[in-house]
Amino acid sequence: MATMPLKNTMIDNTVEDPRQRAPLVLGNHDFTTVTETICRIPEASRPPQAWYIAFAVSSTLTLMLGCMVVYLISTGVGVWNLNNPVGWGWDITNFVFWVGIGHAGTLISAILFLFRQKWRTSINRFAEAMTIFAVVCAGIFPGIHVGRVWLAYWLAPIPNQMQMWPNFRSPLLWDVFAVSTYATVSLLFWYMGMIPDLATLRDRARTKIRQFAYGLLALGWRGSNRQWLRYERAYLLLAALATPLVLSVHSVVSFDFAVSQLPGWHTTIFPPYFVAGAIFSGFAMVVTLMVPAREFFGLKELVTPRHLENMAKIMLATGCMVGYAYSIEFFTAWYSGNVYERFIFMARAMGPYSWAYWTMVCCNILTPQLFWFKKCRTNPWILFAASIFINIGMWFERFVIIVSSLATDFLPGSWGAYAPSWVEICTFIGSFGLFFTLFLLFVRFLPMMAMAEVKSVMPQALHKQGEHQGLGDYWGDMPRGHEHKPGGHDVHH
Amino acid sequence: MSTTDHALPLAEPARQSWGLLAEYLTVPELLAAAEKVRNAGYRRWDCHTPFPVHGLNDAMGLKPTILPWLVLGAGITGGSIGMGLQWFTNAFDYPFIIGGKPFFSVPACIPVAFELTILFAAVTALLGMLVLNNLPEWYHALFRSKQFRRATADRFFISIEAIDPLYSPEATREFLKLTGSSHVELIEEEAD
Amino acid sequence: MHQAPPINMELEAQPLGALAHKVSILAGIVGLAGLGIAVGLSKMGEGASERFYHAYLVSFCFFLSLSLGALFFVILQYLTRSGWSVVVRRVAEVTASNVLLLAVLAVPVMLGANHLYEWTVTNRVMEDDLLQWKEPFLNLRFFLLRLAIYFVVWVGLSRFYLGHSTRQDRQTDPRLTLRLQRWSGPAMLLYAMTVTFAAFDLLMSLDPHWYSTIFGVYFFSGAVVGFFAWQAVVLLLLQKAGRLQQAVTAEHYHDTGKLVFAFVVFWAYIAFSQYLLIWYANIPEETVWYLRRQNGNWALVSIVLLVGHFFLPFFALMSRHPKRRRMMLAVGAVWVLLMHWVDHFWLVMPEFAADGVVPLGLMELACFVGLGGCFVAGVSWGFRNRAVAPIGDPRLPESLAFENV
Repeated sequence: MATMPLKNTMIDNTVEDPRQRAPLVLGNHDFTTVTETICRIPEASRPPQAWYIAFAVSSTLTLMLGCMVVYLISTGVGVWNLNNPVGWGWDITNFVFWVGIGHAGTLISAILFLFRQKWRTSINRFAEAMTIFAVVCAGIFPGIHVGRVWLAYWLAPIPNQMQMWPNFRSPLLWDVFAVSTYATVSLLFWYMGMIPDLATLRDRARTKIRQFAYGLLALGWRGSNRQWLRYERAYLLLAALATPLVLSVHSVVSFDFAVSQLPGWHTTIFPPYFVAGAIFSGFAMVVTLMVPAREFFGLKELVTPRHLENMAKIMLATGCMVGYAYSIEFFTAWYSGNVYERFIFMARAMGPYSWAYWTMVCCNILTPQLFWFKKCRTNPWILFAASIFINIGMWFERFVIIVSSLATDFLPGSWGAYAPSWVEICTFIGSFGLFFTLFLLFVRFLPMMAMAEVKSVMPQALHKQGEHQGLGDYWGDMPRGHEHKPGGHDVHH
Repeated sequence: MSTTDHALPLAEPARQSWGLLAEYLTVPELLAAAEKVRNAGYRRWDCHTPFPVHGLNDAMGLKPTILPWLVLGAGITGGSIGMGLQWFTNAFDYPFIIGGKPFFSVPACIPVAFELTILFAAVTALLGMLVLNNLPEWYHALFRSKQFRRATADRFFISIEAIDPLYSPEATREFLKLTGSSHVELIEEEAD
Repeated sequence: MHQAPPINMELEAQPLGALAHKVSILAGIVGLAGLGIAVGLSKMGEGASERFYHAYLVSFCFFLSLSLGALFFVILQYLTRSGWSVVVRRVAEVTASNVLLLAVLAVPVMLGANHLYEWTVTNRVMEDDLLQWKEPFLNLRFFLLRLAIYFVVWVGLSRFYLGHSTRQDRQTDPRLTLRLQRWSGPAMLLYAMTVTFAAFDLLMSLDPHWYSTIFGVYFFSGAVVGFFAWQAVVLLLLQKAGRLQQAVTAEHYHDTGKLVFAFVVFWAYIAFSQYLLIWYANIPEETVWYLRRQNGNWALVSIVLLVGHFFLPFFALMSRHPKRRRMMLAVGAVWVLLMHWVDHFWLVMPEFAADGVVPLGLMELACFVGLGGCFVAGVSWGFRNRAVAPIGDPRLPESLAFENV
């Protein structure tokens, strides 16, 4: 294999010229070098030192999560500060937070695929992995908050000792179906996308163990075009199925709140508003992970400033949608003339949890406004910082929705207050440990980018000159001199 | 697998030829060659590429797959099971009133029925793709070729199987060379 | 695939000229006749003038939504730097600019406000606490001011986009595209807020007690469905008139069809979200809105809407084949447009038909034909001196060569 010629031929692909599409792969890359760039990360005999440090920290936190879960289950949910009326606190906040983050992966893989956004190829694998790990973290919280987790199978429609069936009219049960379907389909999508790349790793493997492990997972893929035909069709079908699925999952999560009669929860805009917020937070998490990853693993030519800029634009768009929902909710609280609605929105802004409310507004509404400026969209570290603020803001959004509405509902006599216990805080921090542990294992052992897909948007993948104009948006383009030799074949009949 | 005998030396009875593998360096070369192979009338042949090549299905003359129909069928099945399950459990087998809703509340049934539609369809999309593609197939004669390992990285290949009626060890090899292949290789496999 | 022969865009996109002139005059006459009949009917019998305003509002909102859907599409294409859509974008630009005509046609809605909106009637407001509470927002003066603002924004935006795009036909200056792209973000924000509040004002406040935060999105989703169906029909008619016969291919129809399909699903998603949440929570002040639509014959209309606006187009447009066959797509598009009108009928009329009677007759038809004639005349007029596709757009070659993978 050729060694990786890392040339600093970085041209600015964020310059906008409507006459041509900006290149999506920078540098003098061809198929060989792209393969090399991506494969050498999992193939390295040992990862960079930073990886070990990060892994040590994150696995320690995971251990803490494990201890907290054991402590909770062995002692009872009383170790959390939940009370009456605040029966949902950090547990469900964390659940919605993680599930929301888990929406970007499938959005990028499915929706951007249907919209022919070719730039997605550099980030989709990464985002899909993030999705699955976020959904794993999300699944923990409702799993453990039920109290008697050993009876969790009551959620499934299987005969049990009560001789009763689950209540399908409950949105909480819809959630079980939605989240488990989402986890399954995301996993399928991720795995299917990875099959050709696993085959690449198999064919490059030098040790028996790697050959066996990657070979097993690659299922004997041999790049046959008869197989590609069905593979591509299956991918398109999965994308078409995953698109409404993404919308449905966070809509169902929003139903958990919105079907109730509680002021601040019961409002019809919740489903699309939650979906927009989920995509917003998911993209923020992709940026949080991608900015350091492209730095440390030398992927700047594949995850170019244009990719970052596009992600920033999506965050701006979804951030504005979230802002739209906030303002429509606020307006309607007044317009409805309903005193309870009005009260809860005033309480959010000026009541006991106003600090959380204003944190949310600043992080979610003001931060993305930075992205009106190109400087902020293209500077990786500004993006990185902004994405962290957005993550914080989106966590607080769920906290505000859940806790403020529960704490101060209709009757002042039944109001209450809630602050988390140390167990809840440690459990939440521990979930980050789990998330990052899984993520670090992913970047260590699996192809971080969809090699096959990146290759398919390179100019060398086109079979006639100038064809890139015909293939929709963001068909990669390259600086002159890197196109394949003009073949002069007319391959058409 | 039945094969025609290709006058291999009798000293190596354990091997028989599987077919020929031709290598191409670029996408246009592959596409041009694929058209020629198709026009020559070969049936048992295939292209191998590191990524799906646009236009190759046309060049090879491949027919569309039935996968979408399978997925549609699975989706309808999943949706029906979702509806049926909710009707059976909550309205028929053990009816009980919750929140003043009817036993069989269609609006409340939509989310679960929808999720099961997607679940069934998505699982079918993946499994159907694998079954139709005859995967997993961990052993394949082509894996014996060292050069073929680049089929998943940066090279393009056409393989023609020995069981193709038009196959002839010499003529097919010459033919593949004429299509612009940089390297043609005989692939052997162990005899049954 | 085929080696595309060079397309003479000058010829393909030639302005419609005399033809447009003829169509405009003809459609204008039909439109005025329709409105004339409607006005005539409004003088006959008791309650006829109320019914005129109700029927007028239905069709007014219907045609307004087509223009607003078009405006969304135009802004979105620049926001996403879209390439495939260039050759079909002029249809949207012209349709969106027709909002100027609709601003004029809004006058009867303004004049008839006291027949349409309970909260404009002083006596009603006096005896209703909620209407008094809402009075700072729901009062005639502010309502008219808001309508004026919406139309100024929409006319401004649509003229801005159409004007620049038309200028580009001759100048072929890519900087014009850049300029339009740069303003597409703020334009979209303005669009979102104005369309939402217009939906609140024109439609939601028909029942001033009722509220739904998703209502603006609901109106928007229907508008986009309606526009894409309209776009398919207009493209076909343009091709019938000998324009864009090579430039617009099955690929563009396929994408238009996909967008109809996608937004039909989106509309259903939004409609279901609103319905489910209100049905489930079962709060009387909210459910009353749906009760009216389940009362008597309105239940039938609701079912027609559910089946006709979602299930039929969903299954009809799922496969790629009907989207690529012009006649099939045309049939689907006309059907979707019809259902989109039913949607507006369903939004407006039950508010005035508490007894469950569905008032569907000559008045509704006359208003539809009247406004429709005017609308068609306006769109056709837009193609009179203007190329029917943005021939100077730098992304035109990409659009011409576009293929669905």
